[in-house]
Amino acid sequence: MNIIETNHLTKAYGSFTAVSDLNLHIRKGAVYGFLGPNGAGKSTTMKMFLGLTKPTDGAFHIDKKRFPQNRTAILKKIGSFIESPAFYGNLTGQENLDIIRKILGLPKESTADALELTGLAPVKDRLARKYSLGMKQRLGLAGALIGRPPILILDEPTNGLDPVGIHEIRSLIRSLPEKYDCTVLVSSHLLSEIELMADDIGILNHGHLLFEGSLHDLKSQAHDAGFPVDNLEETFLAMVEEDNRRRSK
Amino acid sequence: MVPKIEYKKLKRTGYVPAFLLAALLAGAFPVVNMAVRKESFLSLGGEPLSVLLNANWQMMAMLNILLIVCGACMMYHTEYTDNGMQKMELLPVRQTSLFLGKFLIASIMTAVMLSIEFSVLAGCAVYWFSDSRLNPMILICHLSFSFIMLLPTIILMLLIAQAFRNMWISLGIGVILVFTFSILPQEQLFFALCPFSAPYQLLDNVHADGHVGLFLEIAALETLLFALTEFICLKIRRNFS
Repeated sequence: MNIIETNHLTKAYGSFTAVSDLNLHIRKGAVYGFLGPNGAGKSTTMKMFLGLTKPTDGAFHIDKKRFPQNRTAILKKIGSFIESPAFYGNLTGQENLDIIRKILGLPKESTADALELTGLAPVKDRLARKYSLGMKQRLGLAGALIGRPPILILDEPTNGLDPVGIHEIRSLIRSLPEKYDCTVLVSSHLLSEIELMADDIGILNHGHLLFEGSLHDLKSQAHDAGFPVDNLEETFLAMVEEDNRRRSK
Repeated sequence: MVPKIEYKKLKRTGYVPAFLLAALLAGAFPVVNMAVRKESFLSLGGEPLSVLLNANWQMMAMLNILLIVCGACMMYHTEYTDNGMQKMELLPVRQTSLFLGKFLIASIMTAVMLSIEFSVLAGCAVYWFSDSRLNPMILICHLSFSFIMLLPTIILMLLIAQAFRNMWISLGIGVILVFTFSILPQEQLFFALCPFSAPYQLLDNVHADGHVGLFLEIAALETLLFALTEFICLKIRRNFS
């Protein structure tokens, strides 16, 4: 069953089309890797899912609910992290999460749980503006994970983290569907990263969906199309380059 | 719940101390004025409170408006600096509720500030005008009128502050508005009714002109109009973001 589905979803800014005719199918309980180079339209798609921007055309539903009619119901179910960590620098990590907790109407323990999950518990009383880049990233993730929502939308969540941090967050994301029965939509421009986390992949370039399916499907499709399949990074690059070449003609 | 959350967001921003400090600063003005020029005020006829307000209110009102400008900028600076506002947009809470929560906090702080200032004025009246009996009801009427006159300024300034990510732009606009309206002819009713200008008006003078009802109605109308503008802006912003 698909928990998120888009139907010819399009977003245009004047003459520039950021997302074009997108048909995504995100299975319930899966980690869906949303892959594409910078400016491919990943963040715009995620913003539409969160009601931050309005689609120009097409539609989508999240757990059979639609924007703007079911805005509150949708946002109650989604934990999100978009583009960069968003927080109040004058508040401590714990105070930041407490604000989110209160808005979501969650019990007090949820804050401690999110701090533990992201490894921020030892620095919970430090002002968020004094956090390192990695800590800020973790705080953003904690804000998304608080209350363990059934759907997570994470836009490049490992940006700014050190290798150990990247590994920890990757493992955490990978374990979420099994532990809390949640669905994760995670974006990245690195296939190597998505490869380690995702069950399904969607590849986006210039707003168009180039591929959607499992890693296995990607390999067989790439093989059929004559792309290299030994290294998935090369497969991805070859697909994107081929699409760019076709577009420039 | 929303006003409580909005209040929590202001922790360590210096918002509350700024209002209290401004209240003390504005309150110090009539005290110093009376201490230095006691004779000239005591020789004037009329209610002590009216004498004190006529002598000091222009300066006190300007300080109040400037503080409202700074307060609105501080509120939205906190929202924009580390993208806190973006996180709020991703949560199941209406942006309009957050705006109204901010308006409520700013209004409460303004009421506290005015209460301190009017308490000082009452203290001056009792201390220097020894033969006077201060009527608390008159004091409350003056305070309430001044508070209502400030409401359109508060909401308009919040509207301006939320429109610009860069605090210095909203602060600049606010300061320009403060000084522009302070030099416009206050005796002309149209200008006197405008936000940034109405807070200079005194209940006694407005009452003498028979315009109390008009001032209260226009202040309520302006407040509603600016709130409505904010709701429309939030709707439009989603379509263009």
